[in-house]
Amino acid sequence: MPAAETATLSRLREAVAKIEGSDLSALETGGRVLPLGAGPVDTALGGGLALGALHELAPAGALHLGAAAGFALALAARAGPRKPILWIQPDFASMEAGALYGPGLTALGLPMQQALLLRVARPTDVLWAMEEGLKSRVLSAIVAELTDEGAAADLTATRRLTLAAREVGGLGLLLRHRLSPEPSAAATRWEITAAPSQPDAFDGLGRTAFILSLLKNRRGPLGRWTIEWDHHARVFAPLSVAVAEATVDRSNRAPLIRAG
Amino acid sequence: MNNAAARLGLIASMALADARAMYPALAAADADPHADAKLLEAVADWCDRYTPLVGLDAPDGLLLDITGCAHLFGGEAALCRDLIERLARQGLQASVAVADTVGCAWAVARYGRAPIVARGEAHEALAPLPLVALRTDADTVAGLAQVGLQRIADVIDRPRAPLAARYGQIFVRRIDQALGREDEPITPRLPLPAALAERRFPDPIGREEDVLGTIEQLARELDRVLERRGEGARLLQVALFRADGKVHRLELGTAAPLRDPARVRRLFADRLAVLGDECDPGFGFDMLRLSALVTERFDPQQSGLAGGDEDADLAHLIDRLGARFGLRRIARLEPRNTHIPEFAVAAVPAHAGRNPKVRAAEGREPRRATAASFEARLRPAPQNDEHMDSLAPVRPIRLFQRPEQIEAIAEVPDGPPVRFRWRRVLHEVARVEGPERIAMEWWRDAQGNKLTRDYFRVESRDGARMWLYREGLFEREIGQPENPDKPTWYLHGLFA
Repeated sequence: MPAAETATLSRLREAVAKIEGSDLSALETGGRVLPLGAGPVDTALGGGLALGALHELAPAGALHLGAAAGFALALAARAGPRKPILWIQPDFASMEAGALYGPGLTALGLPMQQALLLRVARPTDVLWAMEEGLKSRVLSAIVAELTDEGAAADLTATRRLTLAAREVGGLGLLLRHRLSPEPSAAATRWEITAAPSQPDAFDGLGRTAFILSLLKNRRGPLGRWTIEWDHHARVFAPLSVAVAEATVDRSNRAPLIRAG
Repeated sequence: MNNAAARLGLIASMALADARAMYPALAAADADPHADAKLLEAVADWCDRYTPLVGLDAPDGLLLDITGCAHLFGGEAALCRDLIERLARQGLQASVAVADTVGCAWAVARYGRAPIVARGEAHEALAPLPLVALRTDADTVAGLAQVGLQRIADVIDRPRAPLAARYGQIFVRRIDQALGREDEPITPRLPLPAALAERRFPDPIGREEDVLGTIEQLARELDRVLERRGEGARLLQVALFRADGKVHRLELGTAAPLRDPARVRRLFADRLAVLGDECDPGFGFDMLRLSALVTERFDPQQSGLAGGDEDADLAHLIDRLGARFGLRRIARLEPRNTHIPEFAVAAVPAHAGRNPKVRAAEGREPRRATAASFEARLRPAPQNDEHMDSLAPVRPIRLFQRPEQIEAIAEVPDGPPVRFRWRRVLHEVARVEGPERIAMEWWRDAQGNKLTRDYFRVESRDGARMWLYREGLFEREIGQPENPDKPTWYLHGLFA
């Protein structure tokens, strides 16, 4: 990008920030961030995922909902080692795509005792509860699931949530079951795809891997990365794309089976 | 039977045919004991305005303990007048009596003349009444009539032993109860609050703000009472008495002992916002009562310096979410000591951490919780990760409440799946770990009908990771000549 365009862009960003009432420079210099631990992603985000902000996650397709939920959980696990997290799940979501499962949380690096699970009946309730959660100082992260495309969480609603998050500095994650084309006030928007894992020496399943597409970033460039989540160390690590793709094509080999 | 029928000389125990013979134009309706009982409940609810201690005396009576309440209404006589008048406005006719004992009041209300029996005058008040007034059954009354005993005066001073021998212990007991020689407590319909505050309005109020303002004022009164006792409320109830007799009750559990009036107001504001039209003020409320049904020790804490009020903040958050969505909807996840995936975690209501009374009031069985905690003490729940040497998490993060049946193809009947179809999409298995064999625990499966499951962690060619299982051990539980079912495959959960 030529220097002149970059300057224009940053000027425009500042103008927008002024309109939206946020101090961009303060966010960029003094705002707290949550580093993921995967270098290139953190660089694009300007150090890490902004705390005190709202972030939108969506799976690349219905099949990848598990991955999107897993990414949200991994972020929540990184956000607060001891503080509780609040997971808001509409009844329809748990019927359609499974209810949050405690032992799986523990296995992914977030002890289940740390999670508060709120089940609500309607999408508007999800947003109300999320705002309440964001205003509370005791939670490290609030994850809210939304099953519909965007009608419920429009620009106004996400702006409200952003304001609530900014006051206290919590991490708000809006997990949409489908990517929404609607504009929103979220700081970032991610599309998550499950990536084939790096197999272990016995050709068993490897560490959980994701392909992240950063579709919107108010503080920097967009991008696409393949990363891996180490649930023991609770840290993300970049996964070389070439290696990951090489592991895909093994259709000619019968899978080796390990006794679990 | 209504008043008009009574004036014609009909009596309640008369056969309908006899009554029709006397007055062919008589209108008769079938008795509806259920509706009567409901009406009685409603009236009892309404009577709550006089005293929190109201007992049901089915099928046609209510018992009110007005000890210490009468002066609020200007004395016992004034209370009776008020009660009769207000009930009359609702189209109900009541006969009321005030006495020292339940038995005496019962008798005087039904058979007596002067409604108020002064302290210690039970004997005189009872003497002229018929024996039925002693709450005895018809056989006993008939038996007594045969020997010439008609009125209570005839038996009241007789030696107890022969009476008991002849007419049973119950009969003697009724006499003693009516005279106050034997104690007879009123069983309250509703739990008695530990503390309460109430306010009456000469003009009914209807606006939400007024109601909430009153709740806050009442909470301030309650705060003073509870502070003196060093307690906080765990279960609060607001009773809204509508001018036309209906009573709305809103209950709120809290995660930690609560006294702060502003927080009480906020919680009820949330609750009212959800209820919306369900809590219709109609012509307005003429009385509000705030009661703390369950209280708990609550010591004032120094806050601020060490940031030690996090617990309080969390409790407040749980309260607010609970007030809006119901406390049972906000849960903590607790591991349970079992290998059966669907039972390995329990969603425990987040507020019910410590007080078993609150749990009971919310309808949870405290006994089961005790058994579970005993189990937990016995052996800590298995840490899933430690005994499994896989790089990947061994349990899914989302579990389907009902495992979804899939079509799967395996190379050998008891081998792992090669490809499978879930929700009409075909998935090629790229990598698989398993089987992890999980059998039903014997106490959950007394008949031995439940089949063993072989779980597989699979990764599809697209990278999606899923938890599948095959039900039934091939050639042991299924696939035999006598039970030639093919194995059934299910998808139970999604990994990250």
